[in-house]
Amino acid sequence: MVTSNTLHVVSTELTVGSFAMAGAAFLFAGLASHGLVRLERHLNLFDQVAHFALAFGLLAMPMAIATGIASSPGDGIDHPLLVNKMFLSCASLGLALGVLNVRRRQGSSIWAEEWGKRWQMLGGMAASGLILTTASFGGTFSRGESLLDMLHLPYDFVPLMPLWLSGLVLLVGLANMVTGRKASS
Amino acid sequence: MRGNFWVFLVIVLLFAPSLGSANPSGVGEGAFDAQCGGACHGDADMNRSSASTVTLLGEAVAYEGLLTSVTVSIENIETTQQGLLGVFLLSSLAGAGDLPSDDGWVIISNSEGGTDNYVEITVSPSQEQRNITWTLRAPSIGQYNLYAAIHHGTEDGSEAPFFGQSITPMVVDVLVVPEDLPRLTSDYVPTTQRMLGEATKMNVETTFVESVEVEWRIAGGEGQSAQVTELADGTWGFDLPASLQPSVIEWRAHLEGEGPSQTTPWFQLRSKEASWTVDETAAYAQSFALIIVFMAGFMALQQRRADEVMKTELSDHEFDGGEL
Repeated sequence: MVTSNTLHVVSTELTVGSFAMAGAAFLFAGLASHGLVRLERHLNLFDQVAHFALAFGLLAMPMAIATGIASSPGDGIDHPLLVNKMFLSCASLGLALGVLNVRRRQGSSIWAEEWGKRWQMLGGMAASGLILTTASFGGTFSRGESLLDMLHLPYDFVPLMPLWLSGLVLLVGLANMVTGRKASS
Repeated sequence: MRGNFWVFLVIVLLFAPSLGSANPSGVGEGAFDAQCGGACHGDADMNRSSASTVTLLGEAVAYEGLLTSVTVSIENIETTQQGLLGVFLLSSLAGAGDLPSDDGWVIISNSEGGTDNYVEITVSPSQEQRNITWTLRAPSIGQYNLYAAIHHGTEDGSEAPFFGQSITPMVVDVLVVPEDLPRLTSDYVPTTQRMLGEATKMNVETTFVESVEVEWRIAGGEGQSAQVTELADGTWGFDLPASLQPSVIEWRAHLEGEGPSQTTPWFQLRSKEASWTVDETAAYAQSFALIIVFMAGFMALQQRRADEVMKTELSDHEFDGGEL
């Protein structure tokens, strides 16, 4: 029989593995697009691997979240690490969606210009980094230790905004997307 | 459309195993009948007999509507690597309709801090014996049977589920309450949980009682007496010391009056750490805001580039060849 704990491990490995590959590919794509370390001829490969792995990681993420909630002990969110994990994964989700959206709209030319290639690389790597940090938090939660413990991160501190401020931030974000969409069309 | 169907089917199939899982990590405490000892692991016929010995201990006589306690003792414990063991208190072994409440018993508390007939305990590897105590309010006059059952897995997790039960039932005669019997009031419910570091003021409500002595102990330890004061007619108070780590304090009262002296069952008071809480609505709202704001922020960042820079489409040759 397969429990949600086992499924969570499977789906987490799918997500984290995909994001890790995406992060490495974004790094190499960035280096290639800047003409560094003689990787220029592989730019197309890195570009496609980076965005495909990122998209695949996004597909696996809902399964990881659902099984994670099902397998966590107790009811609801009852540990600061769980809240921080949720915030980090949502930030990564948003960033990854933005990176993929930009790539879909602007095509491969995103790598042709200084500003675009720099931020596409950093955006993709940041999304991957956030997911890897989330996974590390998961290790701390379930096993009491993780590689990031050496950084002495404030696991118990939850940067929770009041509801009205979250609503305001949400409205600003939505307005930004709508105006950006209108401007580009 | 066809593609969406396959994606949907794959997602449903991915979730299906968790819907049909056997809960090897337990189901938590709850109201479960004996059939669950088999059905929770699939087919009850798959069960093997547990080598553990299950015994019920308690008073053979109880008074209608008054409190009594029953202890389930499990010896020669075998369980999983995590030490998870499920323990049932039952009114029969019929497999259905066998909750104590089906015979009219009311569970006031159990020693794990809950009010259900099924508890899940974690047993440490070296522990061979464990007691679980239920405090019950007796049903109407009559003779009743109580049974105990356990279920568990194995250390390597490869074999069938195991089910064990008390060999003989505990028979309890529920009698009418003598008129002048010193006793707790019929609606008295003791406090069963508190937070760490809190000294607890306990109240005892009694009828036909002239004096009260209270004895308390750390579960399984030496008994000590507490100072009791009469707060009002029939209401008595005493203090229990704070505990610094999660533990169980047991207490009982010796009641003196015109009728025959009575001693209440041991009541359990469990200390636990205050659980961490958060405004979940605010947390979910912030999570959703983070998705939107990071997505919008990044798109706005790259939009600037698209607006300010003349877009130059690369030819396949240029892109593939890295001629940037």
